[in-house]
Amino acid sequence: MRPRKDVEQIIRTKLNLVFDAPRRDELLARALHEQEQSWKTEPARAEPVIRRMIMNSPIVKLGIAAVIIAVLGIGIVEFLGTGGTSGVVWAEVAKNVEASPSVIFRARGTGSRDPNDDWPNAYRIFWRSAALDRADWYRNGQIHRTIYTNLDTKTLIGVLHDHKMYNKEALSDERVQQARANKGWTDPQDLIKMALSLEHHALGQKTINGVLCEGIEATGPDGGTARLWAGVETGYPVLVEIEGIKGGIRTTGTMDQFRWNVDLSAEGIEPEIPAGYEPL
Amino acid sequence: MEDQLLKWKLRRGSKEALAQVYQKYIDSMLTLAIGLLNNRASAEDVVQDVFLSFARSARDLRLQGSLRSYLMTSVLNRVRDRRRRLGRQALRTDAAEPVDPACESAGPEQAAILAEEAIRLNGAIAELPDEQREVVLLRLKANLKFRDIAKLQQTSIGTVLGRYRYGLDRLRSLLNGEVEP
Repeated sequence: MRPRKDVEQIIRTKLNLVFDAPRRDELLARALHEQEQSWKTEPARAEPVIRRMIMNSPIVKLGIAAVIIAVLGIGIVEFLGTGGTSGVVWAEVAKNVEASPSVIFRARGTGSRDPNDDWPNAYRIFWRSAALDRADWYRNGQIHRTIYTNLDTKTLIGVLHDHKMYNKEALSDERVQQARANKGWTDPQDLIKMALSLEHHALGQKTINGVLCEGIEATGPDGGTARLWAGVETGYPVLVEIEGIKGGIRTTGTMDQFRWNVDLSAEGIEPEIPAGYEPL
Repeated sequence: MEDQLLKWKLRRGSKEALAQVYQKYIDSMLTLAIGLLNNRASAEDVVQDVFLSFARSARDLRLQGSLRSYLMTSVLNRVRDRRRRLGRQALRTDAAEPVDPACESAGPEQAAILAEEAIRLNGAIAELPDEQREVVLLRLKANLKFRDIAKLQQTSIGTVLGRYRYGLDRLRSLLNGEVEP
């Protein structure tokens, strides 16, 4: 009887079956089509559970649009029910956020589907405007990714610092359209508008990084919460915290270190490819 | 390293990356599925389901481990689903049809030899009980570690090692002298 090692080798080397060529080509074509469709039909799948929880109800989605129009367009609401002793006029906060052409902030998060799963060791710094988006990913204090998109020039640049590699590619019109419509869970403007449109209550005042802030806590239909803290004097958000549990997994997200109304230009934030980096 | 780059590109919708993953793993997935099911048509259906599902969800990929392990485990899970759905009797009938391996890359003569060997091997592997067959194929064709196989089979490493030894011993006697290493 042959040794076990021979049997192992036979199975490793001789048992190799392949698709016939037409079937192979057909399946690959279908897979590429499915991949393309997934980008067309589900633009916001990378968002964490909490945002989906808040947005779960179609009634809420419609309600958000209506409330934002009411708050920003008509301008009749002063406190949005957060208490008359407040120093923060939340309608003003909403207006300030909406009017800010660009913002820089830090985002961290936890949760099984969250890209920053290893918080607190990881965080991302974002530079955002209507057309520009740059995210620097840090882990243990070291930058390991930079992702930059310019929707006007339809370009994407990715830099993999940990591999010393980079990638430059053109964005299709569809992807540009998707990106304009949805910037994902780390869009503070979207989150803040959402929090203000939901049922919420006042959290009082506290000082965050030396800034006197006032907070509200909004609750979504599935129990997810969003806490928004805004500067009493500035009327701009200072800290946004989101939290929820779904499928037994607790998901959190934190955005802070905001700089609103900064002047972003492509020349200023487009990443330079360090010398010695190879193309992907 | 290469898989990491592929995963990174997949999350950005790269068609080239999906095509690379396909070329790299699709035949291994098929070999595993045929080994587990001993039926080419059913195995192709399983692999198709797994890969199309992978293509749909590639942008959400948050995978820490290797793509190979992920895809192979997906094939195993889909085969198990199929077994549960169809029941053992249906699968036995299903498996009565002999495997017809395609060997496109080999010359006609060599292809015939390879096909014959693969048929014999599959026939022998099909004789093993499900648990032994899974361990042998996951170890030798999917390159999974025994401790990962133990998790998939929800049993101890000792039991998995035992199944592996029993499986190989049974194959030793079934294949004795039939296929050269």
